[in-house]
Amino acid sequence: MPSAEDIKQRIEAAIAGAHADVEDYTGGGDHFRATVTAPAFEGLSRIEQHRLVYAVFGSEVGAAIHALALKTQTPSKIQTN
Amino acid sequence: MSASQFQPLPMSSNEPAPAPAASEAPNPIREAIAQAIEEHKVILFMKGTPEAPACGFSARTVAALQSLDTPFAAVDVLPDPRIRQELSAISNWPTIPQLFVGGELLGGCDIVIEMYESGELAQALL
Repeated sequence: MPSAEDIKQRIEAAIAGAHADVEDYTGGGDHFRATVTAPAFEGLSRIEQHRLVYAVFGSEVGAAIHALALKTQTPSKIQTN
Repeated sequence: MSASQFQPLPMSSNEPAPAPAASEAPNPIREAIAQAIEEHKVILFMKGTPEAPACGFSARTVAALQSLDTPFAAVDVLPDPRIRQELSAISNWPTIPQLFVGGELLGGCDIVIEMYESGELAQALL
């Protein structure tokens, strides 16, 4: 069962320059919420940005990882909320 | 891992070569999904129904659409796991729900809610 830290490290290892904040919001190791900031997202649509993150986990998303809620942004567009 | 390149050759040289596009053979479920996406301007693939969503992500997506008074078609993926499998193969998107507008994937729950909150969803649905 992955931890939020595992998810964070895998995203940051796979996407160059990425910074990920990951929360296991049920505490069960299978529902995560991630905010990912990466220069690699520049010029990509939101769909393409999310696909890039989902691709890190392949078929695990929807299986072992039941949910990976995403918010993606480029470093130049960091939103405060 | 794919073993397709290492399959032993058939013993009989008269056997026809395997069809190269075996994975693209007629697939009624995939075709029905593609047709539904084409035929409905706004179509949501979800867990459960708009009246009784079976997952919080589907529920939130339905609520966003309903609050914009958008008519939409809804397909419950739960009755047959192949629906979800074929849908994800078409859309290159791993999770449910998936909202299609004008034949294109608009997004899953996160993107739809983000677009709802920014007002972009109402624009996209015009």
